[in-house]
Amino acid sequence: MDHIRTPAARPQPLPLAPAARRILVTLPERAAYHGLLVVVAFLSLFPIFWLFSGSLQSAPELYGGVTILPRTPQFRNYATAWTEGHFGTFLGNSLLYASVTVAVILFVASMAGYALARIEFLGRAAVLGLILAVMIVPLPASFVALYKLLIALGLANTRVGYVLALTAGGLPISIFILRGFFVRQPRELEDAAVLDGCSTWDVYWRIMLPLARPGLAAVGIIQFLYVWNEYLLALVMFSTDALMPIQRGLTQFVSSDTPEQHILLAATAMAVLPVIVLYVFAQRSIVQGIMEGAVRG
Amino acid sequence: MTPIGRRTLAGYLFLSPALALLGLFTLAPFAQGILLSFQSWDGVGLDTPWVGLENYRRVLADDVFWASMQNALAFGLIGFVLGNALSLGMAVAVSANPRGAVFYRLAYYLPGVFSVIVVGMMFAWMLQPTIGIVNRTLAWIGLAALKRNWLADPLTALPSVAGAYVWYHWGFGFLLFLAGLQAIPRELHEAAAIDGADAWRRFLFVTWPQLRPVTTIVGILTLVSALQIFGTVQVLTNGGPAYYTEVPTLRIYKEGFQFNRFGVAAAMSVVFGAVLVVLSVIQMWIGRRAEAD
Repeated sequence: MDHIRTPAARPQPLPLAPAARRILVTLPERAAYHGLLVVVAFLSLFPIFWLFSGSLQSAPELYGGVTILPRTPQFRNYATAWTEGHFGTFLGNSLLYASVTVAVILFVASMAGYALARIEFLGRAAVLGLILAVMIVPLPASFVALYKLLIALGLANTRVGYVLALTAGGLPISIFILRGFFVRQPRELEDAAVLDGCSTWDVYWRIMLPLARPGLAAVGIIQFLYVWNEYLLALVMFSTDALMPIQRGLTQFVSSDTPEQHILLAATAMAVLPVIVLYVFAQRSIVQGIMEGAVRG
Repeated sequence: MTPIGRRTLAGYLFLSPALALLGLFTLAPFAQGILLSFQSWDGVGLDTPWVGLENYRRVLADDVFWASMQNALAFGLIGFVLGNALSLGMAVAVSANPRGAVFYRLAYYLPGVFSVIVVGMMFAWMLQPTIGIVNRTLAWIGLAALKRNWLADPLTALPSVAGAYVWYHWGFGFLLFLAGLQAIPRELHEAAAIDGADAWRRFLFVTWPQLRPVTTIVGILTLVSALQIFGTVQVLTNGGPAYYTEVPTLRIYKEGFQFNRFGVAAAMSVVFGAVLVVLSVIQMWIGRRAEAD
């Protein structure tokens, strides 16, 4: 559990002798803990298992009775959703929106975070306060006005409008996380670089940005997940099917095609599969990003 | 140019892309939303006549909107009491049983990275009245009398949606509680154990008081997130049966994008946003105080 960092440096717990550990947790307590752990793990994972199991069943299996695992996995359900439900398009759109948004956020937020961490300029505290304040108003309280603005700018129902709005939405928390990374870097490298004649831009781009790589990875993954899972803005601003990201495509599929249950389950599984893979491989960054967001946000 | 002038110029050059984006897509909509709440707009034309306080008068008289706030509050309370009790139990159990901790942490937080739509689809499938696993299991264990159309029954619709929310949200509280538990000095537990306190008493007199700042923050964050529930409800019930599971965001969406009363929707957004802002300010204030301690 070493990777969950508490906000402030805490004193490390003293190493415990095995005998002392036994004092702390007795056998029946341990059994009770294990019971709880196993039951909740089952509750956490079962709905996911049930989705994938159903997505691979044939219609007779699904409607006939309880089938834990399909006799022959029906990958054709996925093919049907991919072609007839246009999930190839939706997944491609989501991949595009998420990658572009993440790239822009990383660039813009790291510049802002660096300035707020290292450049002592007039009004820094005010800017910091402003960004903190912006973070407070969430999308559910502002999407009606955002929609009107996108129409006025001619950006409603466009890819550019969606990416720009999501970028702005992800910036405040990303700036705060990256600023934290820059603040924690030692100053010596920068001072040496300045003595060697590096400009402020060079210090940021060649020295500080490479150092902040773990922070950039955490921010990038969190924002990728956020864009991949975004629904509300996509719901209100897209009317053309060919532009919709995956979550919006999923509800569009339900309302316009009224698909059969097993095809719908396959479509849902496709929407969530990339997220599961990303989570398993990048759990550290995700957890770290969530903790920083919760503590600061 | 003076050094401070040069630094200030550099600072704002570095900040300019961020400030431009935030200004255009966050601050401008914020101002726009407040203006729109005093106007009438059908969502199509460019004509937005002023209507004074008329929109707010409608919001105050809109029983469904206030019912939706109450429902969101109910989700928040269920999430706070039931969800966070589970989260805390899980966190205590994981930190007492390091064996398998990696797996449990992975499993508990997994639902939290799903989209609200996917969560809705999963629970709609499990709660499906004829072929869903819940009703089939009830029939199989001989409790067929308890079978019902969970999402269409006024009695069970809200608890069912709340169940989906608790499942979706519990990993979040778990992570925060786990970090909080690890920050409690071990000596406190050892001292209590030496004094003869059993696990329950140690929890009551050591863990619980030490966790208080974390509990407060988790509580407020749960409430803030519960108030914003939207996609899952839209998929599961779309606010029904009648308005038994209506939530504020869904209400605002319908008022604007289905009934084309964007001015009223904007007024609802302002009222709703004010509640969220107050909660967030309280949370930040508590967070600061806890960090300062």
